Amino acid sequence: MEDKKETKNFHLNFSAFFEKSEIIFRRLGYYFRIWFMMSKNSFLMFLNQKSVFVIFLTGKILRFLFYIFFLIFLVKGADGLAGYNTNQAIFFFLTFMVVDTTAQFLYRDVYRFRQLIVTGDFDLVLVKPVNALFRVLMGGADVADLMTLPPLYLATIYVGNLLSPTPAHVFLYLFLIIVGLMISTAFHIIVLSFGIITFEIDHSIMIYRDISNMGRFPIDIYKEPLKSALTYFVPIGIMVTLPAKALMGLVNFQSVIVAFLLSILLTIASTRFWKFALSKYSSASS
Amino acid sequence: MSKYLQVFKISLEQEFAYRLNFIMWRIRNVLQILVVFFLWDSIFYFQGRELFGYDRDKILTYVFGLIFVKAFVLSARAQDVAGEIGRGEILNSLLKPLNYFKYWLTRDISSKSLNLFFAVIEFGFLFIILKPPFFFQTNPLIIFLFFLCILIAMFIFYLIVFLVNAIPFWAPEMSWGGHFLVTIILVEFLSGSLFPLDILPQNIQNILNLTPFPYLIYFPLQVYLGKIEGLLILKGIIISVVWVLVLWFVMNWIWKKGLKAYQAYGR
Amino acid sequence: MGKNLKNTSENTVIVEHLVKNFEVVEKKGGFLDGLKNLVSPQKKLVEALKNISFSISQGELVGFIGPNGAGKTTTLKVLSGLLYPTSGFTQVLGYAPWDRKPDYLKQISLVMGQKNQLWWDLPAIETFKLNKAIYELPDSVYKKNLEELVDLMDAKNLLYTQVRRLSLGQRMKLELIASLLHKPKILFLDEPTIGLDVVAQQKVRDFIFDYNRRYKATIILTSHNMEDLMDLAKRVIVINKGEIMFDGNLKELINEFAKEKVIKVYLSKNTDMKEVEKIGKVKRVNFPQITLSVPREATAVAASEILQNFPVADLTIEEEPVEEIIRRIFKGEISQKNTSVPS
Repeated sequence: MEDKKETKNFHLNFSAFFEKSEIIFRRLGYYFRIWFMMSKNSFLMFLNQKSVFVIFLTGKILRFLFYIFFLIFLVKGADGLAGYNTNQAIFFFLTFMVVDTTAQFLYRDVYRFRQLIVTGDFDLVLVKPVNALFRVLMGGADVADLMTLPPLYLATIYVGNLLSPTPAHVFLYLFLIIVGLMISTAFHIIVLSFGIITFEIDHSIMIYRDISNMGRFPIDIYKEPLKSALTYFVPIGIMVTLPAKALMGLVNFQSVIVAFLLSILLTIASTRFWKFALSKYSSASS
Repeated sequence: MSKYLQVFKISLEQEFAYRLNFIMWRIRNVLQILVVFFLWDSIFYFQGRELFGYDRDKILTYVFGLIFVKAFVLSARAQDVAGEIGRGEILNSLLKPLNYFKYWLTRDISSKSLNLFFAVIEFGFLFIILKPPFFFQTNPLIIFLFFLCILIAMFIFYLIVFLVNAIPFWAPEMSWGGHFLVTIILVEFLSGSLFPLDILPQNIQNILNLTPFPYLIYFPLQVYLGKIEGLLILKGIIISVVWVLVLWFVMNWIWKKGLKAYQAYGR
Repeated sequence: MGKNLKNTSENTVIVEHLVKNFEVVEKKGGFLDGLKNLVSPQKKLVEALKNISFSISQGELVGFIGPNGAGKTTTLKVLSGLLYPTSGFTQVLGYAPWDRKPDYLKQISLVMGQKNQLWWDLPAIETFKLNKAIYELPDSVYKKNLEELVDLMDAKNLLYTQVRRLSLGQRMKLELIASLLHKPKILFLDEPTIGLDVVAQQKVRDFIFDYNRRYKATIILTSHNMEDLMDLAKRVIVINKGEIMFDGNLKELINEFAKEKVIKVYLSKNTDMKEVEKIGKVKRVNFPQITLSVPREATAVAASEILQNFPVADLTIEEEPVEEIIRRIFKGEISQKNTSVPS
C-alpha cells in the first residue's frame, strides 16, 4: 500500500524523483557509450579505406571552397545579395554548412539504411535491446565530417565576429542552431520511416538535401510562395536563415517561439511516424 | 544495329520499372534549376540592370536553357558501370557479343531521350509559372552549331564518366567516390551549371577554357545565346573535339590497364 | 494432452491458435497496370499461418521442417517479436514478443542464415565488443563467454580478420558467437546451414547440439534440409502451407508414418520383372539392383519369397528414408490429425 502511494505521487516524492532521474541518466550513459562504440567502428572502417576517405574529404573541401569563392565574386560584383553584404552572405552560407554538415556527421548511417532494409539485416537490428531508431539514425558517424567540422565552426565564429553581434544575439544564434538541428533530425527520422514503408530511401534523402541546399543563400532571395514553403513546409528558412538573421539582430521574439514550437511539433510527429512505420513493417513480410 | 535498338528499348523499359526512382530524379533536377533561377532572379531584380555582361533576359534565358542542356548532356546511365565493376559483374558483361562501350552509349542515349522528353514538359511547366523572359534563337546556322556543340558535349561527358567509372578496377570500394568528386562537384561548378562562367575574372576563364568542363554546358549555351561569335565558335569546337579525342585515348588506355589489373585479382 | 496453463513457468514458448495473415499488393508489369495499381491497388490475402498451436519447454531443441513458404520463418519471426500476429496467443519466456521489451530481447537471440549482424568491413571482434555494450555484459562475463564460444567453435584465428574476407562458413561461425555472447535463454535459428558446404554444415550442427547440451538453452531451428533435423532434433514440427502436419518425436514420425519398408535386392542373374512386381512395389531398377517397398507387416514374408524364388546375390531391408516420409507429409498424403504435445 505504501509503495502504491509513492509511485502514484512520485512527483511529490524526492526519492522516487531521484530514482527516475538516475534511470534516465543511466540510459543516457548507455546510449552514449553505444554511440561512441559505433562511431569508433565507423572510424576504424575508414582507416581500412583511406583512399575513399581522402577522395570524399577532397570533394567536400573543394565544394566548400568553390562555393565561398563563387559567393564572394557574386556578391562583390552584384553589390549585395537581397540586401545583404558580402560578409553577411558568407555567414548565411556558413550557418547553412554548420547545420547541414553537423547533421550529416551524426546521421550518415541514414544513407546506408536502404542496404539494411533490402537485405533484411534490419530484422537483426530490431531484435537487439537497443532502440532500433537510434541504431539506424546514428550508427555511423562520418569521419570525413569530423575533420571538416572544427575548421567550419572556427570559420563561422570568425565571420560571425565580423558582424559584431551582441551576446544576446549570439545566444539566440546558438539556440536557433540547436532548434535547426532538431528539425533536421526530425526530417531524417521521417526519411527513415519512409524508407521502411516504401524501401525508397535514397531519393527521399537526396530530395531533402536538394531542398535544404536552397538554404545556402538567404531565403529572402526566393519569391513567394516558395519562400513560405521554405519557411513552414520544409523549414529551411527556420533551420538556417533564422539563426543567421538572429546573429545579425534581425529577428523578433515571435519567430523564435514559432521556430521552437515547430521543432517540438516536428520531433513528435516524426517519432510517431517512425512508430507507425515499424508497425507496418511488423505486419508485412520481408 | 538491331541489337542496340533492343538495348535502347530495354533501357527505356527499365527506367519505367523504376518509375519512382526516375520521378524523384526529375524532381531533383527541377529543384536544382529553381535554386539557380531564383538566385539570379533576385540579383537581377531591378529591370535594366546590367551585370557581368548580362541583363535579366539573358541570364534567365541561360538558366532556362540549362534545363535542356543538362537533361541532355548530364544524364548518364553509364554511372552504373562502377557498380558493375565493384560487384564483379562486369566480367559477365564483357563475355557477351556486345561492344561494352557501345552498349552503355546506347543506354545513355535512351536515358537522355527520356530525360529530354521530361525536360520539355518541365520547361513548359516552369515557363508558365515563372514567366521568364526567354530569348528564342532564330538564326538556323547558330541553331545547327548549337546542336553540334551539344553532341560533342555528350561525348565528352560520356568519356569522362567512363574514365571515372574505371577507378573500381583498382579500388573496388570506391565505386562512387570518383563519381562524387568529378561528376558531381567538378562538373557542377566548372561546367556552368550554377552560373555562367563569364562572371569569373578573365584569367580564370582562360584556364578553365583549356579544360573539358566548360564545353559541357556553358559553351553550347553561349553559342545559342549568340554571345560567342564567328572564329571563337570555331576555336571552341576545335578544343572540344580535341578533348573528345584525348579523352577517348586516355579512356581506352585506362580501361585496358584496368581490366588487366582486375582480372589479375581473379574475382 | 492439450492445453497447458498459461502461467506455467515450465513452458518457455506457448503458442495457441496463432494466425498470421499478410496483405500483399499484387504488382503487375506494364505501364497501364502500374497506373491502375496506383489508384486502386489489388490486394491479396496470404494466410501464412493458419491457426497453429504448440508449446516448448526450457532446454528443448525443436526442429521446424517444411518446404519453402510453409511458414517456418514466419513462425520464428512472430516468436522473436519481428511480426505482429493477426490473432491467437503467443508467449515466450513470459513475454509478448512483439512488445520487444529490452528485458525480453536480452534473453533471446535470432540468427538468420545469410543475414548478417557482423559489421562487414571490420574484424568480428569489434562487433563482439559492440554487442557486449549493447547487452550490458560485465567484462568478466564477456571474456568468459567469448572464450568458451571461440573454443567451441574453433574460431580463434578468425576473430581479427575483416568479415568481408571470410568464407560463408567462417562467417556463420562468427555470427553464432556474436549471437550467443549474452547467453540467451532461447535461440532462434532460421536456416542456419543454408549455403554452407557439407563440412561447415556439420560443424554448425555439432555446435548447436553441444550448446544445447551444455547450457540447456532452448533452441528452435528451422530448415528445409533434412540432415539438420535428423542430426539434431529429437522433436520435429512439420509445417506446410501454414499448418502443422506433425509435432512429435522423430522416432514417432517414422513409426507412425513409415508404413512401408524398403527391400534392396541384388540379383545375380537376369529375371522377369513382372514376377518381382508381384511381391511388392518396384521403386527403382538399376540392374543388378532392384529397390522395392513392401508393407511393414509383410516384410518378412516378402523377403523370404524373394530369397526362395529369385537368384539373389544380396538382400537388405531398410526403413523408409525420413525424407520420403516428410515429402509425403508435405504432399498431404499423410497427416497427423492431433498436434499432440510430447511429454
